[in-house]
Amino acid sequence: MTDVDHQLELDKAGANINSRWDAVLHFAKNYPLAVGGIIIVIMFVGMAIFADVISSHDPVQTNASLSLAAPSANNILGADMMGRDMFARIVHGSRISLVVGVSSTLLGGIIGVVIGLMSGYLLGWFDLIMQRIIDIMQALPLLVLALVMAASLGPSLENTILAISIPLVPRVARVVRSSTLALREMPFVEAARAAGMTELRVAFRHVLPNTLAPLIVLGTAQLGSAILVEASLSFLGLGVPEPHPSWGRMLSENAAEYARVAPWLVIFPGLAISIVVFGTNLLGDALRDILDPRQRT
Amino acid sequence: MYGKKLAVVAALSLFTAALGANVAYAQKSGGVLKAYHRGTPPSGSIHEEATNSTLTPYMPVMNNLVMYDQSIAINSLDTIVPDLAKSWSWSDDKLNLTFKLREGVKWHDGKPFTSADVKCTWWDLLLGNGGRKYKLRKNPRKAWYKNLKGVTTNGDHEVTFEFGRPQPAILTLLASGYSPVYPCHVSPKKMRTAPIGTGPFKFVKLKQNESVKFTKNTDYWKKDRPYLDAIEWTIIKSRSTRVLAFIAGKFDMTFNADLSVPLAQDVRAQAPTAVCERVMGASINLIVNQAKPPFDNANIRKAMVLTLDRKSAIQILSKGENRMGGAMSPPPQGVWGFTPEFIKTVAGFGPDVQANRVEARKLMEKEGYGPNNRLKVEVSTRNIASYRDPAVLLIDYMKEIYIDGTLKTIETSNWHATVARKDYMVGLNATAVGVDDPDANFFENYSCGSQRNYTGYCKPEMEKLFVEQSMMSDQKARAKLVLQIDKRLQEDAARPILYHNQNFTCKQAYVKGFVAHVNSLYNGWRMEDVWLDK
Amino acid sequence: MGTYLIKRFFLMLLTLLGMSVIIFVMLRLMPGNIVDIMFDSAGFVDPLEKAEIEKELGLDRPIPVQYFDWIWGLMHWDLGFSYVSEMPAAEELGPRIPITAKLAIMALGFSVLFGVPLGVISAVKQDTALDYTLRVISLSGLSLPSFWLALLILMFSVAVFNDIPIYMEPPENLLDELLLFSIPAAAVGFRSSALIMRLTRSSMLEVLRQDYIRTARAKGASENSVNYSHALKNAFLPVTTIIGIEAAFLIGGLIITETVFNIPGVAHFLVEAILMRDYPIVQNLVMLIALIVVTVNFIVDLTYGALDPRIKYGS
Repeated sequence: MTDVDHQLELDKAGANINSRWDAVLHFAKNYPLAVGGIIIVIMFVGMAIFADVISSHDPVQTNASLSLAAPSANNILGADMMGRDMFARIVHGSRISLVVGVSSTLLGGIIGVVIGLMSGYLLGWFDLIMQRIIDIMQALPLLVLALVMAASLGPSLENTILAISIPLVPRVARVVRSSTLALREMPFVEAARAAGMTELRVAFRHVLPNTLAPLIVLGTAQLGSAILVEASLSFLGLGVPEPHPSWGRMLSENAAEYARVAPWLVIFPGLAISIVVFGTNLLGDALRDILDPRQRT
Repeated sequence: MYGKKLAVVAALSLFTAALGANVAYAQKSGGVLKAYHRGTPPSGSIHEEATNSTLTPYMPVMNNLVMYDQSIAINSLDTIVPDLAKSWSWSDDKLNLTFKLREGVKWHDGKPFTSADVKCTWWDLLLGNGGRKYKLRKNPRKAWYKNLKGVTTNGDHEVTFEFGRPQPAILTLLASGYSPVYPCHVSPKKMRTAPIGTGPFKFVKLKQNESVKFTKNTDYWKKDRPYLDAIEWTIIKSRSTRVLAFIAGKFDMTFNADLSVPLAQDVRAQAPTAVCERVMGASINLIVNQAKPPFDNANIRKAMVLTLDRKSAIQILSKGENRMGGAMSPPPQGVWGFTPEFIKTVAGFGPDVQANRVEARKLMEKEGYGPNNRLKVEVSTRNIASYRDPAVLLIDYMKEIYIDGTLKTIETSNWHATVARKDYMVGLNATAVGVDDPDANFFENYSCGSQRNYTGYCKPEMEKLFVEQSMMSDQKARAKLVLQIDKRLQEDAARPILYHNQNFTCKQAYVKGFVAHVNSLYNGWRMEDVWLDK
Repeated sequence: MGTYLIKRFFLMLLTLLGMSVIIFVMLRLMPGNIVDIMFDSAGFVDPLEKAEIEKELGLDRPIPVQYFDWIWGLMHWDLGFSYVSEMPAAEELGPRIPITAKLAIMALGFSVLFGVPLGVISAVKQDTALDYTLRVISLSGLSLPSFWLALLILMFSVAVFNDIPIYMEPPENLLDELLLFSIPAAAVGFRSSALIMRLTRSSMLEVLRQDYIRTARAKGASENSVNYSHALKNAFLPVTTIIGIEAAFLIGGLIITETVFNIPGVAHFLVEAILMRDYPIVQNLVMLIALIVVTVNFIVDLTYGALDPRIKYGS
């Protein structure tokens, strides 16, 4: 069904326009919040890629004379307890957030897609067992699950990613499974099967592309919440460890303690998290509107 | 400016503390002292724990045989006063120490206190003798009583400790808050969950993550004590939150040594009437696993010691307030540590770090390392800011001598197990000693076979020196020997000390009669003389 | 309907049973156990003493034996003992549950009171400046790290009022309690209200487009009565669902909030117990949370059926 909706949307957005620029303007007019989100996300990704160019300071280089230094021309966002430049740490911290966000989304997404497709296709025992496992995973709030996972795996970048990705699995699997169930009876899928395509190829060729829209919506939502969960885990002492300049870690312990003496330690990393998550949420909302037009007039 | 102010405050507080015993206050009785605690105490049994989380709130429940005069800030052999023992005397051969015990003292459950309780605390519980049905689960200070060979009672009110060799300084250990007398008739489990003592306050209730409460012992053997009706500790895990709450005036006192230098600065600025006293915290030290190549190589270990920039570490982490020193706490608070003159004679403590690093690089080059062949090491430490921060600095210092360190943080739950397994290359550790006395420190941390001697440093000639200083009764001569021992320990890189932490305990101005003991966190919390001037 | 209910009920039990196995095994996979932590304060690990304590706590037995011991206890209302305090786990958890429950109800109330009206307004005024503003506000609620927000609230409160709104001792009366919990509840509720507002808005939009609304309008019903009575009634359905899901989401949010505001509820307790490896507390609490989530979902399903006669169970 969604393929048709894509077309509708394209028609709607692209009606009577000739140049690409007009298309962009038209889109911006229809989805102003989405544009805001896109700009924030592009800046965030750009910051992560070009971190070394943007900031001339080394994010882990300590410096006795700059301990808790206030913002100045040299350290525009001040320096932390160890005299490390806050601007450099925030810029480089975007890498950690991006890596955690994207990898956990991809990892959780891929596992979820595989489970969902197999469940929807194989049905029977496999489906029954998978559905129960998914029920179990959904019986715990995301942060509780991530907390127990993070504690049992131990703190490291990889384990944090794993802990955050697992709660995504059941949601993706659910969506993919139900789309698969609906689609496998569709005429064009049956036709493909009749034409001699193997079940697996049918699944990947026809079923998966048609579930892409809801997956993208889920994925963007996960991106923002992954960044937040990473920050929360770090705050509770279970996230990405030092010396990685993770935004969440920057806000825990020391920063809170010296918040009154050096408020820049708390304000800037918190703002960075909020703005980026806000951006992904804006984008996610807009994507939901665009890709799931039942929710729009 | 700030440093000077601190020094003045410290000097003043020492002065008033010294006078404290003679100043007659018009003490007021009554009131509840509200303080905050940093986390749920692991248990209420002082003998089973080695943390001030337990000691600080529970010390008022108990009494010792002898204790440090609560009104004098610097603990030493000279400030020991009677507690449950009215008096004590050494035999002529200096091997037997006899205590005459106070009469008519009752445990909180009404049973009388006798010499049998003393015997069973040291002989049965701490030394594990006597086949008593009760056993301590943990016994972290066994090493303190290595030299104790017997405890005998003579009637209900006299008890004698017998030693294998003279050890005059044993009194400094018995006077610590860590050495209370336990009731013989109460099980260790009961002592952990709802301890019974003879002390000025009775345990009321512990609620995990919420509070621990104590009430006045109206039947206390010291007739006009305590002044307070109750002590209530509210548990607040987040340090930023609890310090904010103290600033907002919600508490009469902070937890024992809870504030770092910048936080104390904040409290002074925001709550100018509060009184903050500086106390000696743990020493931060380097542990190097000599069993793992290339750290079996003395040159590399020496290079690592030479690259340490103690001054910058102290500047960064404490605005210059933390102290440089050896194994023993440095003066003015510490009794036995390196004096400013003496420290210049100890290798690696010199002011010219750059010169040290040139030497260190040469040592590294000799072992085949250089700018293009850098040594990769893992620096393990506990996942707590006070450990992590100096570890990050250490990695920075090692960069200067061709060593690339990566930080490996280890959860609290695993830290000591990891160290015990020797599953690390270079580690960063914090060591707090119960009593500012060489007997406690050397035997616990540097003696062959001791459980807390993490690096396994063991030299027969040093062992001899440890015993020699312990047997000396002339404390001045002993101090000289201790300086020499400490110098050897630092130069041998037994466990290089980066710095000694300085922490602060704050109270509101109306809290009177409390003197922070500046050279140990574990001896000044009896609280029987504390009162509220409200 | 009857068979559906029985089937759902058995699936619920199955889920909980699976959860119990998973949480039990995961806890025992964690590096370091309670005994290691006990020795942490001693500064070393004594292998002999450690073995004795493990034996005392029954940790030396095979994991399946320990598991069945726990389940057997659960079936007899015996939750075991907290390793940390050596008190019965039921006594430790009991007094904490009402605290978290009150906080959660207040937060949920706040998020509904805040989320539903704003969602309706936003839908009715779709694509106006007001709509955009409200959506941005609600999204920002979802985007702020809750511990950061809480920290800013605490700092602001000390700086401006020289008072700190944290829990220090049990409040004396209901009013005090409401006041004490209102700030943390608002902090959690603000976050959750974003989801509720978003869903209210989209389901309102959907309903507003439907035929019978057009008919109502055509019949001359006033704009307001259409929006607020007809549409809201129908939009209520999906909103009920989200409120159910929110209940689970809230428990996650409460972990951070209880920690920052120092509220001695179960959510804060869970974090501490995980850090202390206090297995009996963690496993019973996780089961309690799972039970709540599963039950809420079940109830939401039933409500769904009651509210929307088109839905038939059993298919």
